[in-house]
Amino acid sequence: MSTPTFTPQREAVADQQADETAEADRPWVTVVWNDPVNLMSYVTHVFMKVFGYPEEKATALMLDVHHKGRAVVSSGPRERMEGDTATLHGYGLWATIQHDS
Amino acid sequence: MKVRRKAAVLRVDLTEAEAAVLAGMLDDLADALAEPDPSDPVIQRLYPDGYSDDDEASREYRELVQGDLQADRISRLRACRAELPAGAGRMALDDEAVDRWLRVLNDLRLGLGTRLGVTEEADLDESQPAVQIYAWLTAVQDLLVTHALP
Repeated sequence: MSTPTFTPQREAVADQQADETAEADRPWVTVVWNDPVNLMSYVTHVFMKVFGYPEEKATALMLDVHHKGRAVVSSGPRERMEGDTATLHGYGLWATIQHDS
Repeated sequence: MKVRRKAAVLRVDLTEAEAAVLAGMLDDLADALAEPDPSDPVIQRLYPDGYSDDDEASREYRELVQGDLQADRISRLRACRAELPAGAGRMALDDEAVDRWLRVLNDLRLGLGTRLGVTEEADLDESQPAVQIYAWLTAVQDLLVTHALP
């Protein structure tokens, strides 16, 4: 998805610098995406096992993945999000790292 | 297949046919993982990109984690293969083994599901043996996960 830009050139440069500062401060998140193979029960199990989330929270996150197509399952420093994503990849979940939006 | 919990152990009883199907599936996946072909959709599904919008970061992520992910995946597969009875028989699984089996069953389903082109919408042709095996693996994984302790 692209966003139309109406900002004139000079302001765009200032905006970009502001963005970069904001970018460094924004936390990173691990996102889990819906996929047609992973079972709902298994995804809940993985969230409980990997993150230690109580069943209620793990189920709510799983339902977000299922109904909304994605859910943020953890947030923090980039290195930790890469670790979480790798763990989820080890469980066969479809996860990615991104900046919090 | 029958699953019963006895204290900390899950007893899984397999028929000869079930053990044979699982052995064949595990061996096929072991072959695919031994020399992973990056253009194989199954390998792509088992080792997804770390970033959806940044190829360079995904490449670095892959360099960082791929080796460990592969080694761990193969070691789980081998442990399950070694645990599988040669014919009809019983497996006694502790929590760690149940978690390992869930992950390996999931890998089998991801592999077969990718080959079958499973989507949320499309109905699979249930007259196909591979579709029947996929449905059976799904039932087995669901049964195990409902008996797993969190």
